[in-house]
Amino acid sequence: MLVEFVKMTNSIQMKKNMIPIIVINTAMFLSVFLWAADNGVNQEASSECLACHGEKDVGALRFYDGKKKSVFIDSKVWNSSVHTGRLSCVDCHREISGYPHPSVKYKDGEEYTAVKTETCKRCHYTHYTRLLDSIHYEVLKNGGSGAPGCVECHGSHGIQKAATPRISINEKCGQCHGDVDSEYRNSVHGKALVDENNQDVPVCSDCHSAHDIRNPTDIEYKVNSYKLCGKCHGDAERMKKYNLNPDVLTTYLEDFHGASNQLYSTGAEVPGKLVAVCTDCHGYHSIESVHLPGQAEKVRENVLKTCQKCHQGAMPAFGDAWLSHYKPTLATAPLVWGVKWFYNIVIPFIVLGLVLHILLDLWRYGVRRRKG
Amino acid sequence: MTKIVRREDGTVLVERFSVFRRIEHLFVIATFVALCLTGFPQKYYAAGWSSALLKFFGGLDTARAVHRISGIIFSIHAVIHFAIIVMGILLGKMQLTLLPTSKDIHDIIHTLRYYFGKAKALPLYPKFHYRQKFEYIGLIFGGVVMIVSGLILLYPVLITHYLPGQLIPAARIAHSGEALLAFLVIIIWHLYGSHISPEVFPMDKTIFTGYMTKEELEEKHGLEHERVFGPKP
Repeated sequence: MLVEFVKMTNSIQMKKNMIPIIVINTAMFLSVFLWAADNGVNQEASSECLACHGEKDVGALRFYDGKKKSVFIDSKVWNSSVHTGRLSCVDCHREISGYPHPSVKYKDGEEYTAVKTETCKRCHYTHYTRLLDSIHYEVLKNGGSGAPGCVECHGSHGIQKAATPRISINEKCGQCHGDVDSEYRNSVHGKALVDENNQDVPVCSDCHSAHDIRNPTDIEYKVNSYKLCGKCHGDAERMKKYNLNPDVLTTYLEDFHGASNQLYSTGAEVPGKLVAVCTDCHGYHSIESVHLPGQAEKVRENVLKTCQKCHQGAMPAFGDAWLSHYKPTLATAPLVWGVKWFYNIVIPFIVLGLVLHILLDLWRYGVRRRKG
Repeated sequence: MTKIVRREDGTVLVERFSVFRRIEHLFVIATFVALCLTGFPQKYYAAGWSSALLKFFGGLDTARAVHRISGIIFSIHAVIHFAIIVMGILLGKMQLTLLPTSKDIHDIIHTLRYYFGKAKALPLYPKFHYRQKFEYIGLIFGGVVMIVSGLILLYPVLITHYLPGQLIPAARIAHSGEALLAFLVIIIWHLYGSHISPEVFPMDKTIFTGYMTKEELEEKHGLEHERVFGPKP
């Protein structure tokens, strides 16, 4: 009886389920058709535009500042773009729907691209909102010129995948930040990327992010900056690959400065005074390998100088308080090592003794009561 | 010398702690709680409750200020406490009733024998038994470690004018380790001895009232009872 009942309800369930399945399948089937058809329209519309704009002598936009910008589109460049086949010309150039094109008024090329940035947001909305959080947008908003919108980094008609190859990211940033780019290329990270095509090293966007680029002198950015370095330098496996000390992050965090920064970064107050982060001793764009001859000594010398920036009157002995990212051992820091082991042994020993004593007291109390 | 109060209902109360000692205890409670609440979030910097607790104090910087002020109050208290002891010894007016003696070793062995059923009764304890002495001496030694390591951490630049730099990370570990030890002793030992133990549950109020009944004194500190009221007939 029960089995039959279950079967019956199952079949009713099946029939009920079938309806949405059919609906979904039909919708998917139709949408493939529509997409294909739409695609065709795209291609057709674009080729219509290219009939004129594909010619080199098609003409140019004239801005109020007197500068000109050619409206010639190399069809080869357009066809290599990630948008080919997905978008047609008028998807971005929305103001144009026929010929002759309506005239538009832009002060200069910059204003034109700034307006076009608004076009990208129709599809890439998250990236657009991230851009709104960036220092670049801050500059733009305050009337500053030269800060990039979308097309300055991504290009316009020949847009490629953003991060291939990774060095292309630095090339884009280097267009404006050339001094930083060349500094980076001489650093341990830059050399590894340029000379060895090493994909483990960070490029600009790994530390500064791509769209919501913050002002690197912001307190919040600085407080959290140890996480950027720690992402790789706290990864023991990756550090082993390059014969680097895997304890740099943990030893930093166990220190007064690291612990403070970790607490600040969890939102426990905006620090009144910034405490030392990785970059204060190691630098940022020009970081060099500690394996280079003389480099380790140089970094060590930097320690005291860095301390003195905040701790006025610090003597060389003050710098020795920092154990150079190494866990204390009997040979390197006997006092620290000794104190650490003293408490590692004494705390459990005393606690165990006290607990045993309490248990004995309770046990005897119970026995005494039972005996009356 | 011991103050004895005879009430109208016939109970006899014996003074255990002078008013000054009772105030000292309140001071230690206040500073210890403040130091724990503002110190442990710094020790366990990665824990979620740490930042919540720090936010309660108004942030890390404010909590540190509270921690340092509490530490300085604790230190001043310690100096006064030691000064009174030294003066007391010099003037010959103080009995060091909390100083461990050889009798305490015998008491420990005797008590353990009682726990294992080898002795019929507990020993007659002096004014303070070894469990109380352990806690007091622990507070004294722990307090000294905390004050010294705390001062090193408060004035690292000054310290390293005279002493090696290694002292600073060592002081940090000592401050952190000793704090945990003190906290655990209070939570385990003091909570049991003064609150949870069946003899005093829910609370031994002597440190707040300052007095204990004669009967209680006879039961818990037989030797002290003999000293005050003379040997049993």
